[in-house]
Amino acid sequence: MSLLGANFRRDMEIHRYPLLVYGLIPLIALVLQAWLPRVLGAYTWLDLPLVVTIYFALGRRSPIQGTLMGAAIGIFEDALSHHAIGVNGIAKTAVGFLAASVGIRIDVENFTIRVLLNFLLSLLSSAIFLFVYRVLLGLDLEWNWLTQLFIAIGNSVIALVLFPLLDRLQIRD
Amino acid sequence: MESFFVRYRNLLVLLAILVAQIIGLAMQVRRAGAGRSTLDSHDSSGVRLIRLWAEALVSPPERVIHNTKLGILHVWNNYFYLRNVRQQNQDLQKTIDRLRLEQAALLEDARQGQRLQALLGFQEKYIYATVAAQAIGTSGSEQSHVFYIDKGEDYHLKPDMAVITGDGIVGKIRDVFPHTAQVLAINDQTSGAGVILQTTRIRGILRGNADGQLMIVGILADERIQPGEVVLTAGGDLIFPRGLPVGAVEKVIRDPDRDAFIDVMVKPAAHLDRIDEVLVITSTQPRFSDQQQKDIAASEAVKGAEAEAIQEQLKASQINAERLPGLADPNAPAANPPAKPGENPGQAAPAAVPPAPKLLPTLHPDRFSPGAALTPDTGAGTSASPKTGTSSSQQSAPPSAPRRNP
Repeated sequence: MSLLGANFRRDMEIHRYPLLVYGLIPLIALVLQAWLPRVLGAYTWLDLPLVVTIYFALGRRSPIQGTLMGAAIGIFEDALSHHAIGVNGIAKTAVGFLAASVGIRIDVENFTIRVLLNFLLSLLSSAIFLFVYRVLLGLDLEWNWLTQLFIAIGNSVIALVLFPLLDRLQIRD
Repeated sequence: MESFFVRYRNLLVLLAILVAQIIGLAMQVRRAGAGRSTLDSHDSSGVRLIRLWAEALVSPPERVIHNTKLGILHVWNNYFYLRNVRQQNQDLQKTIDRLRLEQAALLEDARQGQRLQALLGFQEKYIYATVAAQAIGTSGSEQSHVFYIDKGEDYHLKPDMAVITGDGIVGKIRDVFPHTAQVLAINDQTSGAGVILQTTRIRGILRGNADGQLMIVGILADERIQPGEVVLTAGGDLIFPRGLPVGAVEKVIRDPDRDAFIDVMVKPAAHLDRIDEVLVITSTQPRFSDQQQKDIAASEAVKGAEAEAIQEQLKASQINAERLPGLADPNAPAANPPAKPGENPGQAAPAAVPPAPKLLPTLHPDRFSPGAALTPDTGAGTSASPKTGTSSSQQSAPPSAPRRNP
């Protein structure tokens, strides 16, 4: 893992995208996430909105932008479910903030780092979701960590494929 | 102070957004006692607005994807993938012929059953109206087993309507939007349906677990429950009509929290992971077709005519009974004639003795024979002696009320 100066990375490698991409890609991720279980059934071991949140947070390297995007995507996910609105929102807000904060300090172009980051942040997102649901709200929820592990692995694999594709949408000087 | 906000603006923004969401969450839950909470069953207007926006954004692309998939499948299945179609067609034609005959017989039985139930005021709920719908999307969340259908308020769908397929129950409508509706699947942790095991008649509550599997909870350990037993809806939850297939018992496991209880894992009858077409039950109230109404009216008329005929017969038999000579002497005075004027009304007429049961003649009378003890002078064997020249009925006739001389 190559550690670089924060200012250097911020100045040199902030990814910029057309404005439409910021709205369209998360929307496509949300639509696919809602549609894929109809095809894959119970084996939908991925969380595309989370992968997109991590991608933009890492690429933009702005904790505020990562936080806002995470919150928006998370609330959108909650709205499509029957859960209280804010459970996923809080989880993805934290993940967006952390991903952006980490992105300032490390080389996010490295495939290994991308995979590792996606894996860890996916597990963190699940843990925050569980914490909010059970502790903060005091609601009953059965939980299967094995499924969350599969989802974290799935997110890492998807990130390997998706990140290079999304990189093509960058505005190059 | 300005430098503080600039320096920690990232953290401050994070905190502000987290706090706002936590406050929003706190407004959506309420205490249910014993330190537990529960979500409000009905969304507030603000929450509903957010759900409406999200649904409005996601549904159109989902419809496009769904329709595209259907179109591709249609073209593929109808124009390309036609292997063995001729043979299948012949087989199906034979099946149709056989089913037509069976249907004709069953239809007669069904009509008769409905007529009888209507006559008896049978209040059992049956499915009388459904709306067919297509599943177009899901929540996308592992912890939320809900899916969306392409019919909503435009088809008069309402929350808590049951959703089924031809195989079995699927869920209930949780929220209705203008053109779509959100269905809570039965394998969600928050769902619940009253079910009954077909053979053992044991009742329980069906819900989902963390893995999206169906389980019946709250059942006392019972060795009679065996894998393969059919599970049906019990009808007590006011959502699913009684007797709809739910699935079959897969295995029985001990309840980890309560020793005396078991959890029954159920294999769903409907394919909950791959739902395409569903039926929403919009009415379970008895509603008969015109033809059925006519049949019922005709049946009622027949029933009325029969009752009238029975009344006529009763009346005629009474008239005949009056005309026919009776056993009682018509010239004999009444047992309790009305008091004549001048008589002391205080002198009550002797009370009528209740009629005693008629005794059959004794073939070999002895001293224990009825009447022998009362007439010791006649000796044994004389109580029913033919010498008397009277019939046994006359002998054993009840003592009549003392005659009054006019």
